[in-house]
Amino acid sequence: MWAIETRNLRKVFRPLIGGKPITAVDNLNLQVPPGTVFGFLGPNGAGKTTTIQILIGNVYPTAGEAFILGHRAGALAAKRKLGFLPEKFQFHDFLTAEEFLRMHGRLAKMDGATLQKRIDEVLELVGLTQRRKSKIREFSKGMQQRIGLAQAIIHDPDLVILDEPTSALDPLGRRRVREVVQYLKERGKTVFLNSHLLSEVERSCDVVAIIDRGRVVKQGALDELLVNRSVVSIELKRVEPRVLEAMAQVAQKVQPVDERRVTAEVAQEDDIAELARAIVQAGGALMGLQAHRETLEDLFIQTVEGESK
Amino acid sequence: MGVIVALTLKEAMRRRAFLGTLIILVALYGLSFLPRAFKEAFGGSERQFEIGVNIAVLFGVDIIKFFSAVLAILLCAGALTAEIERGYLAAILPRPLHRWELYLGKWLGVMLFSAANATLWTAMLWVSVAVQGQPRVEMWRALPYVLLYPVLYGTLALAFSSFLGASIASMFTVAAGAFAYFSDQFLRPIAAFFDVKLLQQIVWLSEWTLPMATLKRLVQQRVDTILPPSMDDAPPWGTEAMLRFLKPEVQTLDIVYVGVYIVAALLIGLLIFWRRDVQ
Repeated sequence: MWAIETRNLRKVFRPLIGGKPITAVDNLNLQVPPGTVFGFLGPNGAGKTTTIQILIGNVYPTAGEAFILGHRAGALAAKRKLGFLPEKFQFHDFLTAEEFLRMHGRLAKMDGATLQKRIDEVLELVGLTQRRKSKIREFSKGMQQRIGLAQAIIHDPDLVILDEPTSALDPLGRRRVREVVQYLKERGKTVFLNSHLLSEVERSCDVVAIIDRGRVVKQGALDELLVNRSVVSIELKRVEPRVLEAMAQVAQKVQPVDERRVTAEVAQEDDIAELARAIVQAGGALMGLQAHRETLEDLFIQTVEGESK
Repeated sequence: MGVIVALTLKEAMRRRAFLGTLIILVALYGLSFLPRAFKEAFGGSERQFEIGVNIAVLFGVDIIKFFSAVLAILLCAGALTAEIERGYLAAILPRPLHRWELYLGKWLGVMLFSAANATLWTAMLWVSVAVQGQPRVEMWRALPYVLLYPVLYGTLALAFSSFLGASIASMFTVAAGAFAYFSDQFLRPIAAFFDVKLLQQIVWLSEWTLPMATLKRLVQQRVDTILPPSMDDAPPWGTEAMLRFLKPEVQTLDIVYVGVYIVAALLIGLLIFWRRDVQ
């Protein structure tokens, strides 16, 4: 059973008066393995927010199905197992941190004793124990984000959907979120992370899906998606055609930058030594070589630009 | 649902509604002492003083009706779409509760707050005339019907709020109220005296659109007994049909219609909120 599964999910927004219908999600098929940290990526307007809104039951799909831990998205059984941190929120700031968490615990149907214990735990986890009696209106933006994270996990859900959880945070705050994500992962929870901060996603996620124009264009384990390609920056005394030809025998892609520099893309890390050997054997004067592992940002840009062509 | 009711009550308290409640309390207190102030300033008999108190009570009941309805409109009109737009419901909607629980929780919270206010104001009016030796139990008899004013207007505003922002939802509710008030207060006498069928039909339609005049008659039936003899009587001339149209009698079905109207508005708003996309 998948933590999240969508089958041919489609959402078309039809304006009430005039205007063209907008297809936000278009036959989206997504499978999120349980117990993973799943990165959900896509350019602005790709349909990420709409997909999340369908998953949490706020938006009804036009066609297709979505399931949360085997329950239809939006059903009470699905909501009981789900924690959600919205991207745009305004909490009831006249409540104290503790009152706010108690309210959400009661909304999640938690009993009194369990709830009190859990409030202590999550406040400690997000680093707000000392501010438990402070009103939310007195919190900084980062602290509000952290109390938002606390409400998302107050009822110990099996699946936590975090919509841009680090957008308002400083580096320390981001580290705190990473720690919470790690804590959830260690406890076997599934975390569904929507973020534009690709470096954060790369550090936290096991599996990613990139969506564009409402469809999944790439999905898989992060290690598998990134390991097979490395980009190598090479500095030669002079770039010569025969050297480029020799490099092309080993590399998947060779791109001269200027008269002295070339970048090459190799399929695996072992090919880097082979590439150096080929340059030397072709008579090239190798002055420098630096390998970069392909980042998620590279993959994201290639994937999205490839789709738009 | 209890959590939503409690949250709505807390929200209402912090929206300066409490301050409004206090201001109206003071205004009602001051109003009830006006007849005594006039008597002491200009003299007059005890009977004139009693009539003055009665008029103050009738006017006070109208104030309670008006402000409890305004309060309910203000609180209900911004309860759903406006809160969704501001992001207040973003973390609440994914909780394991049905949308009807959220809707009815909001409704119940506002109604309890409005009812508490109207009861408090009535109590203030009653106490302040009672301490002058003029207790008027009629206002307590009218209270159940007075409480229907915030219920009626609040339910309508909440129904609009299920798909409209706060200002437009308020505007539509006030427009419905204005149409009902204008038809009853101004069109009804013109339609009756000049026997204009079209105007009579508009008045009839306004009562179906918003049964405010029906509710007004139900309240009047309880409090008008304190009016002096011959005051508010029908004019001594005109046909029977004209007089009946000018001052319709209270029917048993009137309260049923008001109840059905409120339930229907509640269900329509609920249905819209249940089926709409929320983002």
